[in-house]
Amino acid sequence: MGRNGCTARWPCIMSAITHKSEEQKAAEGEVESLRQEGGPFVVAAEETRMPMVFMDAKGAGKPIIFANDSFLKLTGYARDELLGQRFNFLLAPDAEPGTLAGVEAAFQPSCEDSLEVPTRRKNGNAFWAALFISPVRDDSGDIVEHFASFIDLTRHKEEQAQSRMLIDELNHRVKNTLTTVQSIVAQALRNGSNPEVVREAIESRLFALSRSHDLLTRENWEGAGLRDVVDAAMKPFGVANGRSERFVVTGENVRFPPKAALALGIAFHELATNAVKYGAFSGDTGCIRIAWTIEPASAGDRLSLRWSEENGPPVTPPSQKGFGSRVIERGLGFELGGTARLDYRTDGLVCTISIPAPSGAGHE
Amino acid sequence: MNDLLCGRRVLVVEDEMLVLMNIEDMLIDLGCGSVSTAATVDQALALIETQPFDAAMLDVNLDGSSSYPVADVLAERGVPFVFSTGYGDQRLNDAYRDRPVLGKPYRNADLAEALTRVLRP
Repeated sequence: MGRNGCTARWPCIMSAITHKSEEQKAAEGEVESLRQEGGPFVVAAEETRMPMVFMDAKGAGKPIIFANDSFLKLTGYARDELLGQRFNFLLAPDAEPGTLAGVEAAFQPSCEDSLEVPTRRKNGNAFWAALFISPVRDDSGDIVEHFASFIDLTRHKEEQAQSRMLIDELNHRVKNTLTTVQSIVAQALRNGSNPEVVREAIESRLFALSRSHDLLTRENWEGAGLRDVVDAAMKPFGVANGRSERFVVTGENVRFPPKAALALGIAFHELATNAVKYGAFSGDTGCIRIAWTIEPASAGDRLSLRWSEENGPPVTPPSQKGFGSRVIERGLGFELGGTARLDYRTDGLVCTISIPAPSGAGHE
Repeated sequence: MNDLLCGRRVLVVEDEMLVLMNIEDMLIDLGCGSVSTAATVDQALALIETQPFDAAMLDVNLDGSSSYPVADVLAERGVPFVFSTGYGDQRLNDAYRDRPVLGKPYRNADLAEALTRVLRP
């Protein structure tokens, strides 16, 4: 900056204030002398990436007498739109009385705290900024100006909101999972009196739920493919025991949202458990075929799935319906807005499921 | 069994099948006469159109949408209801701030107490 300030901003700033009070003139004199004496410091205030404004300490409402480029960039104002404005002009119009009182207090030289204030951009949008106000004194110790720096808290606030949201979502998921566990335990106690049977029923379902959670976690809880859901549910029964050739899955890896994937995981677990206890996997010869297709329909595409067991022991329908059939026949159709039927055919159980295809399926 | 709940027709709006099964069982154990279930707002509204209910249990959040539209219709018809939520101390809409809310998971006794409270003459 030249000593005469020909290209500097200060003279422009000064001339922008058209009606100058004696105090303002005096303050400008201070700034000018500061510029003369404190050359590098003034350049620093002008050039720093920290958004800053200076206010005249004596003018009514603490009028702005300087704003650096960084501040103009942050708020979108042109310099001459700010100069001469009262300090509170920078605050959002709907700032609460508490905020205004806080700003008032921040002007006190004894105040060393920063303040979070809603700040106004030229386009009318508000953003949160951390505001620091410090006094500038003359040789005799009188406060002649204040300078204020603004730290944009937008990203910080966004991160805070994001982490709040994640915590809320996590809490929601934990509570839902606990409620699901409560139901699994209650159902097991209802359907069995032998402690060993009850324990087994609870454990196997909790592990099935846990495998579905693992699958969804690998996919960032954005959803899971139907093949993967089937694999996760069958893992402890089929592939692990070398039975994979007796277990044939045909169908695209259609992606389902997390909630539907969990429901399907529970249903496949129940079907697999039944197959191991009474059906195709209870002996050495049976096999299970799972096949699905997407079928276009006027009311939206549907996914038709068929689970069929073959070459197992002859099937007799259960005398009373247990947890598994209730989950499949009532629960699955209910939760996924479709139908699910169990057909206890003598030559093998057949389960047919018809549910709305998840959006985007079959159009890839 | 619970005298106030005995024979009552209850609507349950809940979108998770396992959770729903447990509520159904709890209500039957409490002596309720019938339990109708809905997983979505539309299903619930269709049920309310076609049959009378003495009370309802509403999960506040149904797979991303809110059950307030169901609460509005129930309130209009004078059917008492209890909310449930998995969002801890979730704040309800101003219109429903005085309604009972059960935080999930809740016990059979909590459900009985909340329903008894809204059904008490």
